[in-house]
Amino acid sequence: MAGPEQLSLGVNLNDDATFDNFFAPTDSGNAQTVALLRAQLAGAADPVVVLWGAAGAGLSHLLQACCHAAQDAGLNFQYLPLAELAAFEPAALCEGLDSLDGVCVDNLEAVAGDLAWEEALFHLYNRLRDRGRCLVVAAAEGPHQLPLALPDLRSRLQWGVSCQVTPLDDAGKLDALRQRAHARGLALSQEVAQYILQRVPRDTKPLFQCLEQLDRASLAQQRRLTIPFVKSVLQV
Amino acid sequence: MLPQSVWKLCASSLQDELPSQQFNTWIRPLQIDDSAQPGELRLLAPNRFVCDWVNEKFLHRIRELVESFQADNALNVVVGTGKSARPAFTPQAIEREEANAHQGRDQRIESEPYRESMHSGAPAVQSPPAQPPQQIVEVEGALKHRNNLNRSFSFASFVEGKSNQLGLAASRQVAENPGGSYNPLFIYGGVGLGKTHLMQAVGNEMVNKNPNAKVIYLHSERFVADMVKALQLNAINDFKRYYRSVDALLIDDIQFFAGKERSQEEFFHTFNSLLEGGQQIILTCDRYPKEINGLEERLKSRFGWGLTVAVEPPELETRVAILMKKAEQVGADLPPEAAFFIAQRIRSNVRELEGALKRVIANAQFTGRPMDVDLVREALKDLLALQDKQVGIDNIQRVVGEYYKIKMNDMLSKRRSRSVARPRQVAMALAKELTNHSLPEIGEAFGGRDHTTVLHACRKIKQMQEEDADIREDMKNLLRSLTT
Repeated sequence: MAGPEQLSLGVNLNDDATFDNFFAPTDSGNAQTVALLRAQLAGAADPVVVLWGAAGAGLSHLLQACCHAAQDAGLNFQYLPLAELAAFEPAALCEGLDSLDGVCVDNLEAVAGDLAWEEALFHLYNRLRDRGRCLVVAAAEGPHQLPLALPDLRSRLQWGVSCQVTPLDDAGKLDALRQRAHARGLALSQEVAQYILQRVPRDTKPLFQCLEQLDRASLAQQRRLTIPFVKSVLQV
Repeated sequence: MLPQSVWKLCASSLQDELPSQQFNTWIRPLQIDDSAQPGELRLLAPNRFVCDWVNEKFLHRIRELVESFQADNALNVVVGTGKSARPAFTPQAIEREEANAHQGRDQRIESEPYRESMHSGAPAVQSPPAQPPQQIVEVEGALKHRNNLNRSFSFASFVEGKSNQLGLAASRQVAENPGGSYNPLFIYGGVGLGKTHLMQAVGNEMVNKNPNAKVIYLHSERFVADMVKALQLNAINDFKRYYRSVDALLIDDIQFFAGKERSQEEFFHTFNSLLEGGQQIILTCDRYPKEINGLEERLKSRFGWGLTVAVEPPELETRVAILMKKAEQVGADLPPEAAFFIAQRIRSNVRELEGALKRVIANAQFTGRPMDVDLVREALKDLLALQDKQVGIDNIQRVVGEYYKIKMNDMLSKRRSRSVARPRQVAMALAKELTNHSLPEIGEAFGGRDHTTVLHACRKIKQMQEEDADIREDMKNLLRSLTT
């Protein structure tokens, strides 16, 4: 069924997007979602999981983390960011994907209301389910609210376990920043982390990009992360 | 050496050889089967997926290791699915078990919440559940298929209610007497109401009675894809022979044939051939045959030749029974009041009901809390909040007003003409049923009426629903649009 063309989509995974690198406070809803996704990969949870939440909550990160973890377990998963792929012919793009162990569909909202896409995804869902394969879907809204045109697709998505992924609050971002710094071998004090958080865009992506910039500068100049150093590097 | 000891050594070696993630995912869940024959080392995987994977990727290595540890007395290694009374066999588990045996005490093995569910059979909703090997249906020619039947869709697992009574009775009849007078059996209704379950229950029953019965279940899209492929490969005769040779052909969601003329043509001939041969056809669709746009008239008319039955959204009691049954199937302890709470809030279809239950179970597993109403409220809080927003009194008044084409001013006015009073009573009855507002609050929201007026409206509409098909239909439509 699967032609090699389906398996060689030009979709790259971000190496940093792993479960270990996803900051989820203990006992939080996000931690529960990570546990569920891990269980799904191990065949111990429902094969269909729907993640939803606002931009910046980490949906793409989690989907890519699924692909990485699947790869580590010797499974063949495909990541499909629909925001980038919406222009493709849906039936052709989805054909043969059921021969994989799992599919991670990102940005479902990008094709919501497009009947051809919705039908293709509905058929993909049925084929994956018939073969006992995994499907992880991420969307800006939950299955009840997405402006889908095909009730059949909506009811299939409602059948899986749906989890809302919530963005980190400021305290969470601070912890996440320090955890990332620690993982890079950087000593980032609470005070400096707070300083960064108050001065750069507070979405996690630009925040982590700043950290990367600081890491490079600190290595090149052999300096510790102090407020004056951060100020000069980030020019804030 | 005992098979248990051999497996202990073997698992230890695999733990050293494999990355920990692979070991944890594939080897750790394997349990040893105590009921294996002498000379056999039988390992049980928690599901078909793990079983297939271990057979494909690790069986060879496991056999090599077993042979190296037991060279003098060869053991035949087999991996299947199922559960053993014994905990998962890891070196640690074996050591603990041996220690327990020595110390003569029981000791539970701690594991992650989800892993525990996989090993011990604690709650875990998993769909589709692990299935026995699929029957391969083959005819002369090149085509062969799995029958695609999901064994969990049986009559025993189907929850009967007023809404699906007729569909269930017809399906049982067909299973008793396939190819008889109910041919084709056409089951229609909204999404997630159990059409596929009924259809597959007939197929499974036929296979139970006659394991050689050639029953094929497929989605209409698969029929189209097979036909396109057959045309491309110049194998249309094989395609025809294959589909015309089965004892029962079960095609799901035939509304997706709409607009696909060549497929309809081919299906028309297959349909006729099966009908003439006395082979059973079962079809499902989201609407009545005559209402399928883009489908040829001759097909529409043929679909009505046998028996056409509708399945309706389940009523409250059936929804509670479905939840209790699903929970029981996965070994989850769902108290009746929690099931009632979920069923009261989720009305649209069974899939949504099951999805909600899965969330509740996942939440209970993660937090280690019992599945009481508080936990349900917490696990489904986004869904409930959304529903409260959708079914507020304002929204009910607006939707009912639009449905009966009356103005909001009239809905709230003192006018008592029937064209206004009836919709107002319907809206009051819906507000009573769908919201938690008290009767005085509802009366207040309808232009400051007394609570006895609301009570009268509720009683009147209830009585009319029993006597008047139009009101019944109106209430059904309004409930659907307010709760989905």
